[in-house]
Amino acid sequence: MDAKSIQQSSTILRHSKSNRIKIKPFSKSTFVLRITLAIMAILTVLSFATINFQTIDFWAGLVDTVTNFQTMFTTPQLNHFSFWEGFYAVLITMGLAFLTTLFGAALGLLFGLLSAENLSNKRVSNVIKGSVAFIRAVPTVLWVLIFAVAAGLGSVAAVIGMTFHSAGYLIKAYSESFEELDEGVIEALRASGASWWQIVVQAVIPSSLSYLVSWTFMRFEINFSVAVAMGAAAGAGGIGYNMFMASSFYFDLNEIGAITYYILTFAVLLEVIAIRFKTNISGH
Amino acid sequence: MTTLLNVQHVSKQYGHDTLALSDVSFSVNEGEFVSVIGPSGAGKSTLLRCINQMVDTTDGEIHFDNAILQQMNKRELRGLRTNIGMIFQHYNLVERLTVIENVLHGRLGYKSTVAGMLGLYKEEEKERGIELLEMLGLREQIYKRCDQLSGGQKQRVGIARALIQEPKMLLCDEPIASLDPNASKRIMDHLKSISRSMGITALVNLHQVDVALSYSDRIIGVSGGKIVFDGSPKEVTQEIIQSIYGSEANDLMVKLGGQNAI
Repeated sequence: MDAKSIQQSSTILRHSKSNRIKIKPFSKSTFVLRITLAIMAILTVLSFATINFQTIDFWAGLVDTVTNFQTMFTTPQLNHFSFWEGFYAVLITMGLAFLTTLFGAALGLLFGLLSAENLSNKRVSNVIKGSVAFIRAVPTVLWVLIFAVAAGLGSVAAVIGMTFHSAGYLIKAYSESFEELDEGVIEALRASGASWWQIVVQAVIPSSLSYLVSWTFMRFEINFSVAVAMGAAAGAGGIGYNMFMASSFYFDLNEIGAITYYILTFAVLLEVIAIRFKTNISGH
Repeated sequence: MTTLLNVQHVSKQYGHDTLALSDVSFSVNEGEFVSVIGPSGAGKSTLLRCINQMVDTTDGEIHFDNAILQQMNKRELRGLRTNIGMIFQHYNLVERLTVIENVLHGRLGYKSTVAGMLGLYKEEEKERGIELLEMLGLREQIYKRCDQLSGGQKQRVGIARALIQEPKMLLCDEPIASLDPNASKRIMDHLKSISRSMGITALVNLHQVDVALSYSDRIIGVSGGKIVFDGSPKEVTQEIIQSIYGSEANDLMVKLGGQNAI
């Protein structure tokens, strides 16, 4: 490099104080990022330093927790119901998750199509997206409790409440999958005289099928864990209710361990089935 | 020869001040092969999409097959579109479906909503689809998924999808802009022979001036939303190319000179 070009590049390049070349120039966004990280670091240190254990000794508490976990997971035992009763209870929970996912998927498909900007008009799309955002902002448990006012605590309130939130979630997920679709495909079919429903069934759904399946399974998994919680919190029945009884009525750690294994097994099974299904869909 | 398409004083305005087409008039006879050339953004695509009303015109009238497009309702428009096949630069196929399914999509406009949704096609339609695919040299690919095809093969599927509509006219929007020279030649040869043998009128948007000159019966030059040239390829001179593409089209003129010399 001759002297002139070195001089030229030095006017463009920025150097640090120790005369090294900077690769990340100082900007507002890096400044904000650094400030945020610094504040979070300070808060973390501060909260640990000032934590109030009240009468509990931290180390003794830790040891007790580990002992409890050990009792739960190394000596699982069923005391208040049989193996098959437990199995049946998990099936009920699974059924609750399946039903609400199915309802949610049906509603999600219809309103997802209506709220996808490339398939609907802007006004309808915005109205649906707005109301769906509101539905999603309220947690599932709260929806169940809201519907419990009319239906009473139990499975009906749980189904309606969970369906509500699932639909909200799937409408957004589906409509975003539809919006990913190449505009040209829709144009091509419209140009050949195809109607809206024909385009949807023949082009839009086949193109976004793998997204739809993955989102639906994702929601099924969420609904399964919500259904466990609903059994405990809303009296919806299923394995969640058994867990609630074991933990807060019988104080039976061994049984809690056994129930956890039940749920874990089913969750893993669900995951395996979901993966199998997805590979089948995305293959041919 | 009878006139199939007659575009009269058509203008298209996007928003308040973007004029994509201004006072465009021309007519196309039955069976003619017409190329539309012009720089990017000149309004070629808009012009093509006005003809099947994918884009509605701001002003003027388009007569197609003795009907006036601007007076049609939604239903009549669907009927009209079945008579006009369209081919795209990016093929616009449903990639996850098979070749034959994509071809049969061209029949959707003729079907009831439910039959179309369920994909209930008649045996004759399927046979016609296979016949067209054989003609285009895609016999081996009938059951392949479209995402496994090459660009040239995809474009041939696109052509089959347009032809199964039994169209009176083909609108081709940059059909070879994403293809290599060999595939481009093959596609253009197919389009030309289809136009000849089936008597289908073709209106083709092209970027390649030399291709347009060697394949077309007529050239329409568009620049800045206006028609600046309308005549046979023989009448195209360097001055005309310059008036279409602006003064920076020196390279193109060299090419044109070379070709004329041969």
